[in-house]
Amino acid sequence: MIWLVASALLFSIGAYGALTRRTAILMFLSIELMLNAAALSLVSFSKLTGSLEAQVVVLFIIAIAAAEVAVGLGLIVAIFRRRETTGVDELRQLRG
Amino acid sequence: MSIGFWEVLALLVLVGTGLAVVRLQNAVHAALALIANFLVVAGVYVALEARFVAMIQIIVYAGAIVVLFLFVIMLLSAANANVGQDLLPRLPWVAALGALGLAGVLIYAVTRFQPPANAPALGGGLPQALGPLLYDPEKWLYALLVVGFLLLVATVAAVVLIEPERIIAATSHPAHPRQDQKPSPSTGQQKDERAVVKP
Repeated sequence: MIWLVASALLFSIGAYGALTRRTAILMFLSIELMLNAAALSLVSFSKLTGSLEAQVVVLFIIAIAAAEVAVGLGLIVAIFRRRETTGVDELRQLRG
Repeated sequence: MSIGFWEVLALLVLVGTGLAVVRLQNAVHAALALIANFLVVAGVYVALEARFVAMIQIIVYAGAIVVLFLFVIMLLSAANANVGQDLLPRLPWVAALGALGLAGVLIYAVTRFQPPANAPALGGGLPQALGPLLYDPEKWLYALLVVGFLLLVATVAAVVLIEPERIIAATSHPAHPRQDQKPSPSTGQQKDERAVVKP
């Protein structure tokens, strides 16, 4: 049960970081923290209910996180090449 | 589940490194704190009978993903977290209140969870226990194949994202190769082309 509380705390900390960080890379780091908190809660539920399927789902979460990081960091590098910055405050050309 | 010294220590280290990830002003330090967080989480996985997932956590998360982050931070010289001007200087307080509320709701939700009395053993979460589930066509085999294909597509997409102009030029006009396809010693031509593309 303590690990469920730990995953709740980590998820909230990650949400705080995703809201307050001002560069795209650091926002992305905070989102990774939230993903990992979700995986931690799945593993502790797996232990509490005795189901191995949750651990299989955690493996899929890790694989999809790897794909997401590849695409996300590619986007960040492409944006940096065009705009010379990764600050999300300056990337607001779509605002009406 | 009893709460002993190591559980409390791991919880404190998890929260401390998590706060370091979201508060440190140097992105390299934040990424290193994230590695520490992932390693402690892997130790927790071992304690929770998920040893294979713990190994994958160390290899993929702490080993590959965060190293990719560090690579990009150093490639772009983007270690400084304070760029530009702060448009919302009071946002951290509001976000802290929101995060505290979220933590309260989540902790209330998870402490109301009633685990079944006699949960079956997990077999340590070894690959011998997880493999039959992963490769069973009636359970997760097709999901595994789809995730493998997704990884391939994501890798190709990452390559295409980095060099869009050159790849589009190379694939759309194969009969008429453009000037910049030839090896030219000067780089000024490339800069001109990029300036035209820039809106």
